[in-house]
Amino acid sequence: MSRRVGIVGAAVTPFKGTWREKTYYELAQMATREAVKDAQMPIADVEAAFYGIYNDIFERAAIPEHAIHGLCGMQNKFGVRITTGGATGAYTMSAAHAYLAAGRFKTALVLGVEKATDCFDFTSMSATPEVIKSIAWSGDSFFEQPIGWSASDSYAEVVLAYMDEHPTDLKPEVTAQISAQLSQQVRTNPYAQRQFDQVTAEEVLNSRLVVYPFRELEICVYSEGAAALILAEEETAKAISRNSGKPVIWITGVGEANEHSFAGKNHKVMPRIMSDYYAARRAYEMAGIEDPTKAIDIVELHDAFVHQLEISMAEFGLVPLGRADALIEEGLMTPGGKYLVNLCGGLIYCGHAVGASNIMSAWSARKELINRRLKTALVHGTGSTIAQFTACMILEHE
Amino acid sequence: MAAEKKRLIPSKYIPEVGSFVETIDGKRYLIANDAMYTFYRRTKGEFSPFFLALRDEKRLLGCKCVKCGQVRVPPFLTHCPDCDFAPTTEVEVGQVGIMNSTPPITYFATSLFQDMAPYGRGRVIFEGADTAMSVNLYTTTGILVPGIFKKGTKVKLVFRDDRVGDVRDVFCVPLSELSQAQVEKKGLQESEIDWEAAVPPPLAEATPEAQAAYKQAFKEITAIVKEMNANPRARKDIAGWKRAIVVKTLGGEFGLFIKDGDIRTGKPPKSPDFVMVCEDPKTLLDGLAYRGAITDAVINRKLWISKNQEFITIFKLDRMARSLARTKKV
Repeated sequence: MSRRVGIVGAAVTPFKGTWREKTYYELAQMATREAVKDAQMPIADVEAAFYGIYNDIFERAAIPEHAIHGLCGMQNKFGVRITTGGATGAYTMSAAHAYLAAGRFKTALVLGVEKATDCFDFTSMSATPEVIKSIAWSGDSFFEQPIGWSASDSYAEVVLAYMDEHPTDLKPEVTAQISAQLSQQVRTNPYAQRQFDQVTAEEVLNSRLVVYPFRELEICVYSEGAAALILAEEETAKAISRNSGKPVIWITGVGEANEHSFAGKNHKVMPRIMSDYYAARRAYEMAGIEDPTKAIDIVELHDAFVHQLEISMAEFGLVPLGRADALIEEGLMTPGGKYLVNLCGGLIYCGHAVGASNIMSAWSARKELINRRLKTALVHGTGSTIAQFTACMILEHE
Repeated sequence: MAAEKKRLIPSKYIPEVGSFVETIDGKRYLIANDAMYTFYRRTKGEFSPFFLALRDEKRLLGCKCVKCGQVRVPPFLTHCPDCDFAPTTEVEVGQVGIMNSTPPITYFATSLFQDMAPYGRGRVIFEGADTAMSVNLYTTTGILVPGIFKKGTKVKLVFRDDRVGDVRDVFCVPLSELSQAQVEKKGLQESEIDWEAAVPPPLAEATPEAQAAYKQAFKEITAIVKEMNANPRARKDIAGWKRAIVVKTLGGEFGLFIKDGDIRTGKPPKSPDFVMVCEDPKTLLDGLAYRGAITDAVINRKLWISKNQEFITIFKLDRMARSLARTKKV
């Protein structure tokens, strides 16, 4: 019988376009310091560390976690790093959950950190082309990297294939409206990279095409920052909660799926994100959720692109496939609607510090469940080529 | 250029040794130029027959499972995981195929592909194959725009004249842009296709109305450019960047000069880095005023640029427009 696992502490650093003032060593320690402070426990009581760091090239070191292990007070204890592209943070939480549920440890630090924009392109004298190049080393190296594979163009493949099947869905005015709404929601997130970058739907529609069909204001921004959670098994979690006075947010469901990375018959179904579908269903099953449209209050999902946000919401079963625009047109995610989606501003406005992003989403979901006295949240991470990887988590507030 | 092509890393990508200090809130931070690099002598292993067939024989190979008969192109495995790892055998497939889905077009590329943008990359199911192969997509008619390639579009595999045994040895063009003989030819090479040359769109004789519109637009463009020049965020967008541009419109032409944070208008330069042509100067004006992206104007053929590589400058101008608009809001 596996043990219940809950979140007893959480913290994020500010997400910024660039952190000239700090290296990833200090960002990692900042988030850790604040997370144990939030849990009101000494770091000495944390038994294991799970690091979410996506890309060695960003940190400019292979096994970048080695340096931060001792700096975070975890010397002589268990430490393992997870890297699964954009889904790194979500998979890191999943791994930590599994170890605690199995009884290997009573407490764990889940720490995501990324320092992306030290990368710099000296031909354009700007960071972004080099940042996306560093990510583009993640594509298939024999058949796709040499012809310009990128994270954006691979997600665009999925989105365009979805639009082939559902030509009346993902209307530009709807994707623009979602982006505009996220830009309003980010106002209350003081840690966000774009806290005061409010845009109108018209501005989104007027922003430049980056990769067809994505416009600049429909794409996540690369950030630098860190996020940390303290997880604990049931009895320990309750004891920590009594001491801190903060409720335990239980992880009641976890699910993951990775698809094929080639397309065609018996391979990736290009118009779908089956990884989202399977991961969400597995998390629902574990949490005992039969109808997610009735159970889910808050969704903190990985919105690499607004169009993908819509498809993911459909794959989660929260809106019909082919009718994802109902999120706006039927008010499902507009203020006062059925679902609270990416209250932190998501990765588009809070920022995408890759290894930290999904952990930031969990931080936001926990905070909102407590502050709004709501019961259930879905946290999600997607990554790799053509939205291949997904990990989902159900959080519950008793 | 020819000498650079022989290097794995062209010299233009390699920065000089250097560092600088940035002061934030009174504290000094040291920032140094740096690089992480690794060279390889990397085997293509089991993919070698596929790449050698592209390079030496202009043939496209796949692999066929002896049990289920599925044909995978490219032949990315030797045993079929769907049939308890039954072996596969080499097969040749056709050089005409259909788009598996509508492909994306990259306008803002990674630093490695900026010279190639805009480019399409999509998946093609070739005749006789069950899986889709990623290929670059080109049109013979100029800049690639949405709508040329869609799900189901028939395409032809084209071979580069200089092939190295790499997936870049091939690309696809729409069948509709080729002659029947070209479609039927096996091993069609790029030099056998007529590519539309990058010629500037002709501008008609300027009318007095067009000249008046130009004068007004130039005045407004100059005013916006002055605002950009005084805006720290916009100046940051063109830090370290230098370009002299000729802007030609129906009613007149002028110069646009970018120099490490500075931007100004003036007389057309004699030796520009590139030329912009837009019949209506309002097209550029609207872009700079953040009333529509200049990038989109290029894609929609309202504004022509003489070098595709200068999309990067267009992006910087779009970015400056947004920076100015953001500052005005706060």
